[in-house]
Amino acid sequence: MNQIFQIIVSGSIQGIIYALIAFGYNLTFSTSKTINFSLGNVMMLGGVIGFSLYVDIHSGNLLGHSYLFPIIGVLVAGMIAGTAIHKFAIEPSLKLKSEFTWVLATLAVGIIIKNAVEQIWSTGDFRFPSPLGDVPFRIFGTGIYPQEILLVVVATIIVFGVESFKKYTIYGKAIQAVSEDKETASLMGIPQHQVVRISFILSATIATIAGLLVAPLTFVSASMGSSLGIKAYAVSIIGGLESGKGLVVGGLILGISEFFTARYISSGYKELPGFIILILVILIKPNGLFGKTMIKKV
Amino acid sequence: MNNKVFKSFKYLIYFLPLLLPIFVHNEYYVHGILGRIIIYTILVASLDIVTGYIGDISIGHAGLFAVGAYTMAVFNSTAIANAGGSIHLFYEWPFLASLVMAVIITAIFGFILGFPSLRSSGPYLAVTTIAYGIIIYTIINEQENLTNGTKGIQMTPLKIGSLSLDGNNYLWVIYPCLLLVMYIKNNLAQSFWGRAFEAIKFSSIAAESCGISKSYFKISAFVLSAGIAGLAGGLFTHLDNYIAPNTFSLDFSILALMALIFGGVRSALGNIIGMTLVVILPDLFTWFKDYRLMVFGILLLLVLFFLPNGIAGLVRETFEKLFPKKINTKYDLLKLKNIGEQISLFDSQKASSVTPLKLESLEMRFGGLVAVNQLELVVKPGTIHGLMGPNGSGKSTTINLITGLYKPTNGKVIIFDQLANEVAPNKRAGLGIARTFQNLQLFSDLTVLENVLVGLHTHYKSSLFSILLGLPNVQNEELHHQAECLKWLEFVGLSHLALEKAKNLAYGQARRLEIARALAMRPKLLLLDEPAAGLTTTEIEEFNSIILKVKEHGISVLLIEHHMDMIMKISDEITVLDFGKKIAGGIPSVVQKNTLVIQAYLGSEGEGA
Repeated sequence: MNQIFQIIVSGSIQGIIYALIAFGYNLTFSTSKTINFSLGNVMMLGGVIGFSLYVDIHSGNLLGHSYLFPIIGVLVAGMIAGTAIHKFAIEPSLKLKSEFTWVLATLAVGIIIKNAVEQIWSTGDFRFPSPLGDVPFRIFGTGIYPQEILLVVVATIIVFGVESFKKYTIYGKAIQAVSEDKETASLMGIPQHQVVRISFILSATIATIAGLLVAPLTFVSASMGSSLGIKAYAVSIIGGLESGKGLVVGGLILGISEFFTARYISSGYKELPGFIILILVILIKPNGLFGKTMIKKV
Repeated sequence: MNNKVFKSFKYLIYFLPLLLPIFVHNEYYVHGILGRIIIYTILVASLDIVTGYIGDISIGHAGLFAVGAYTMAVFNSTAIANAGGSIHLFYEWPFLASLVMAVIITAIFGFILGFPSLRSSGPYLAVTTIAYGIIIYTIINEQENLTNGTKGIQMTPLKIGSLSLDGNNYLWVIYPCLLLVMYIKNNLAQSFWGRAFEAIKFSSIAAESCGISKSYFKISAFVLSAGIAGLAGGLFTHLDNYIAPNTFSLDFSILALMALIFGGVRSALGNIIGMTLVVILPDLFTWFKDYRLMVFGILLLLVLFFLPNGIAGLVRETFEKLFPKKINTKYDLLKLKNIGEQISLFDSQKASSVTPLKLESLEMRFGGLVAVNQLELVVKPGTIHGLMGPNGSGKSTTINLITGLYKPTNGKVIIFDQLANEVAPNKRAGLGIARTFQNLQLFSDLTVLENVLVGLHTHYKSSLFSILLGLPNVQNEELHHQAECLKWLEFVGLSHLALEKAKNLAYGQARRLEIARALAMRPKLLLLDEPAAGLTTTEIEEFNSIILKVKEHGISVLLIEHHMDMIMKISDEITVLDFGKKIAGGIPSVVQKNTLVIQAYLGSEGEGA
């Protein structure tokens, strides 16, 4: 019983990590109808930059200054990454109006980021000590790391913060207007391109923050973003892009199924159920569990 | 004559690489590099079918490649080569039988992969292909009894009698396969199959209205593509006589996709150039080996934004600039004209006395909104029936009901005496109806002639097999149909633009092209959805004369329009809709005076007036 409880808790936390990154996918999808395939690697960038500003890479000891440094570092990195991705991959793709340019362009950016980090920084794996310590709490026999709680809290604040920004401020409404109908929004005087750029900056910054938060729970390495990025993408598709509820449900499905499979079948197969569920969802509900269905019109 | 010399020279060059194993003994370049390029290019060609022609991105082709490779390994590998592994059952089938098996099994995997593509696209489909690739990757890693897990499978080198087909000699096996794949892919692309693929890509709704079943052709494309990927995989197993799961990761899918885009889609030359670059570049510049992926990434961005047609596109454009005469040798218009003289249009469409279209108390509700309400309408044989009404009166819903895009919530659609409520849109072409679209639905990257050829889709009889092999009867059929299409273009006055791309047409020309495409289907009832929208008065005059000519040949027309002058002038009978209801019907002169119609169009002046 205890074990199942532990699996559900750990799986849910993993699911929330996915959901947080998936939230980044949704933000940019809603404004530009593209998926930023480099987001996983942007998240990795957050982890690596946070690590470099906080831990000495050679000795593994803390550099000794405040956690504020890595926080500011990842915020700046996220904004720069978002601006650059928008400028070099998204904006030119949108101009071409091709179905698949953006897929390859963002994939290319992801590959460039990863390769650059490998060459400039390191190809190794490093431990990132949590600022809150690495001793787990015990609640009813279930172990939870303080870092995990921090992650859940920050993720909740980010998601609710951005959602209320979208709902209650005029700038947020501009984002919603663009995602509903670009042309009309443009006619109403909303600077469409600006809105798309801001959504990319926001999304990349969320990813780098996620990287900083996730790093103490895994290892920091140039490849830490690849599989997280793909799974988060799967989560946003299972839930339905543009659906907030879907993110949480999709994240929980994927996270919990992974932990159950790893525990009761084999850790080699842990990713399988999530991806099979993804394919089934696409077959039955092509726009995800909570996605909007589009009406064909001629 | 000169052309013939040029052609035989071309074939000679095609077969030249077969001599390499005899004259060149460098294992590294011939076997290692060239061998890899050849096999990977086959994979890129397979990816081109779904991504280039159907327009669906697959980021999971490494998975299909793996299925082919492991099928070959499992069936062909021997116990001697794999002593001490986890596999206990060895089939030890001969090479060719295993290769056929690899193709078949991978094709089955492609069949399954095809289904998600029927209903989803873009980011939704891309992730499905990724998931598919990862699932296969996980299975080959974990199913040790079948694949020996991460340790991989060793193969016995190939041999025929005493002739070794290993090392450089393996080129004699794989190079002919590459030629064969390029040959069948090219044949496919030139045929009505290839056009159906592209038609679905540009507008699946228009493709369906031309009688093309989207599900059938999409699934077929995935099956074909997977079969070719399986061939590539099967051949790959013997390249190094060893395979392990690592090769088939997501990165490899991305690499194949990159190669496809570098080279340029829908081009054999592009497939080859793209893969060659991906394989050779890191080898030529060893100093950048570590930065290889970064350089690829930057190159990919540059190609995407500056060479949308890839390097092959650049080569083609330069070639066309240097030798402008060589352009468009694909269609010989003069020859087509000659063949066309024996073809008479409107032959099979003799007027019959069967009522083309009958709508009986038709009703369509969207939630609480009744878009079409108790509509009764009869199109009499050989007449032009006008359906008019102000914006939002239910005209478009009515045509969507007739063409099968919507299923009526009540009532009947009867087409040529057949109840058609449940007939799928692509099957309605077979009932004898063809349509044009209010907002143009042309296949923009195809030429004008090819657009009309798509209209003839259901009239092709060649089997897929004979198309792939390029048999002579396929050629004849194709020529005959091309000639007919050219005549249809003459009929609507567009034959001088036959080789122009559809997207370059002016608005009025595009409208006429839609009519030509619909007429090429040889329908008995033609549905025209607001054909006059956006046309000038003179263009409308021309249009009227085309429609009247069509009528003269016994084809019934349902004309949906809110352009009063036009509809009054050429219709034999008119039905007027307002708020989904029929408010008037009859001959034009009567309808014109109907007060309800005048009110609907001009508004009333209040109760007293």
